[in-house]
Amino acid sequence: MPGHRTKGFCASAAALVLCAVLAGCGGSGDSTGDGKVVLRYTWWGNPDRAERTEQAVALFEKQHPDVRVQTSFSGYDAYKQKLATQAAGGDAPDVMQLDYRQIDQYASGDVLLDLAQQKSVLRTSEIDQGLLATGRVDGTQYAVPQGRGTETVVYDVKTWQDSGVPLPHEGWTWDDWADAMRELARRTGRPGATDPGQSEDAFEVWLRGRGKSLYTEDGRLGFTADDLTRWWTFTDRLRREGAVSPAEQTTQLDGSVENTPLGRGKATSDTNWDAPSSGYLAIIPTGVALAPMPSGEDGTPGQYFKPSMFLGVSANTDHPKEAAQLVDFLINDREAAEILGASRGIPVNETIREEVGPRLKDFDKTVADYQSSLEGTLKDPPQAPPSGDNALQTTFQRDYDQVSYERMSPREAAENYVTEAKAELRS
Amino acid sequence: MTTTDVPARTARPSRPAVPKRRPRREREGAAWVFLSPWVLGATVLTLLPMAVSLYLSFTDYDLFNPPRWVGLRNYTQMFTEDPRYWRSVLTTLTYVVLAVPLQLALALLVAIALKSMKRGKAFYRSAFYAPSLLGASMSIALVWRAVFNDGGTVDNLFGTGGWVNKPGWALLAVALLTVWQFGAPMVIFLAGLQQIPAELYEAAAVDGAGTWRQFLSVTVPMLSPVLFFNLVLQTIQAFQVFTPAFAVSAGKGGPADSTLVYTLYLYDRGFVASHMGYASAMAWVLLLVIGAVTVVLFRTSRSWVFYASDTDGGAR
Repeated sequence: MPGHRTKGFCASAAALVLCAVLAGCGGSGDSTGDGKVVLRYTWWGNPDRAERTEQAVALFEKQHPDVRVQTSFSGYDAYKQKLATQAAGGDAPDVMQLDYRQIDQYASGDVLLDLAQQKSVLRTSEIDQGLLATGRVDGTQYAVPQGRGTETVVYDVKTWQDSGVPLPHEGWTWDDWADAMRELARRTGRPGATDPGQSEDAFEVWLRGRGKSLYTEDGRLGFTADDLTRWWTFTDRLRREGAVSPAEQTTQLDGSVENTPLGRGKATSDTNWDAPSSGYLAIIPTGVALAPMPSGEDGTPGQYFKPSMFLGVSANTDHPKEAAQLVDFLINDREAAEILGASRGIPVNETIREEVGPRLKDFDKTVADYQSSLEGTLKDPPQAPPSGDNALQTTFQRDYDQVSYERMSPREAAENYVTEAKAELRS
Repeated sequence: MTTTDVPARTARPSRPAVPKRRPRREREGAAWVFLSPWVLGATVLTLLPMAVSLYLSFTDYDLFNPPRWVGLRNYTQMFTEDPRYWRSVLTTLTYVVLAVPLQLALALLVAIALKSMKRGKAFYRSAFYAPSLLGASMSIALVWRAVFNDGGTVDNLFGTGGWVNKPGWALLAVALLTVWQFGAPMVIFLAGLQQIPAELYEAAAVDGAGTWRQFLSVTVPMLSPVLFFNLVLQTIQAFQVFTPAFAVSAGKGGPADSTLVYTLYLYDRGFVASHMGYASAMAWVLLLVIGAVTVVLFRTSRSWVFYASDTDGGAR
């Protein structure tokens, strides 16, 4: 019957088209015509980091003529979403840069390779053991930290000095900090700092200064609504006094230094991570300096050396050995370290840190000096945050927006947050 | 396949049946062949994903681990445990009520102005349509954010400060971006206006009706089917607003959740928080709500939409 034939025709046509489409999708070839192994390596970062990474990768290709590395990078938010989609489709890049917040999720989702399988080519002996442990989930090394960073109070040196307010000193407490911000606001006529109430990171530093932590060891919430109420009441009062940035400024934060109150010339200081603070140099030509984060009232330091980013290898890679070699190169090769500098934080390889450290220039040196001034004074980093933390970081900002725009009291917002966090961590 | 078709065709004359018209089944078969690109696209790109999303809405799915069946939990959590969800519903309703009437009014106004123009109609029609082509793009939305930001044009002209950083004003900035893209309804209005017979206006003028009276008693009733069409279309679109809210708030729905419209929160739950199951459930609720609103609009239309053919007895 003609009708049947037509149906058959349809079906085969459909099958043909599908095949073509699927073949098109599966085109991420593993080796080129010349027999080279092709690795995909992705990261997030700014153009400076990209340029240095490309140089390092070129060096790797020179050392390993049989390997070609395809690189791609983007901003953090876009990167995070793209990587999640790729990973879900079983198409994660061979070597990927990961954030502390992603490790738990990716490891438990079987996206990452157990790096112990490749320990013959991937050396970890020279990495600070405490830091190395941050890449472990349930005892398995899924990722290797690439650099370490810590939080800092970054400030416009000239403005602060000219104001006559005493400069920040090691061991200052949150009360000292608050007084300095009030004083700065009074003398300069603009807020002393970004309102830290929106930052989950700053809250963590404050919380650790009080001997608590964001999360318990079994991945539940490590603080109560009372703790958060106290923090938000503290920052909310400073905001009302004009000592820290107003809500309209705070809400514009998007992770880039350009959009912080300090970057806009609307405040004298900011709380940020040390390596990314290099961006302020382009905006404040008279220079910025890094001061430690305030500690708890009894002197307990809240900040810690955090792995600033990790490298992981895809569990689905066809070339685990070459991928591990690339990771090893980026972390342990001295020449690579010279090229990369402090673009991903201070190197984790201790031998390299000692050798390359003194030769660092410009802001790389500022960061290195800042970190060595803290060496030995900080407590161990917490273990990787539970996967829900990824979403909670945004929730934290949103809930504080309700406080700084005076739509909720610190107590209401804190209770909201704790409810949302519990739901997030339960799932 | 073409080669096998040939003998089938040459064999046909031997059949005794209707010589000129091909059998119904065969004609249907041909129709299916021509439809197949669309059917394939609709199935693979729309129907299958919809079915999957319906399934996912009853699961907990984070993209990494296989979906886990949770029954109605996503739905109950949405309705009972998520205050931000209800804020996003309220924000979206506010947006719809704000943007749709404003946009339709502006489109109608410009269409009427264009209709009475003697010269340069084509130029102005294109000029007013241009924002609809540009406005949907991300770049214009980013420009919009700059215009309404601190130190932007609006701030400098009126000294109001940046709208996008004021919870009371940010949604208006988003709505204005949509209103500005009134091109599509305007063109439809214009076509509708040109369909209204001139003799109706003449008759009204003879009866002593002024411009306003003519507008109310001739233009509005004669235009009501077009008005209704635009209303339904724009309402459906307004419920799904995403790009302007995303761009104007830099992806965050801020300040203080004031531009966190439904689809933006859906996107946030799905792609930022990796709760694909929850996001799917939200999408299905949105679909049902839009369906319900459309049905309500159709019901009310019986009392205010006037179809000329009703009275003409189908003469036209």
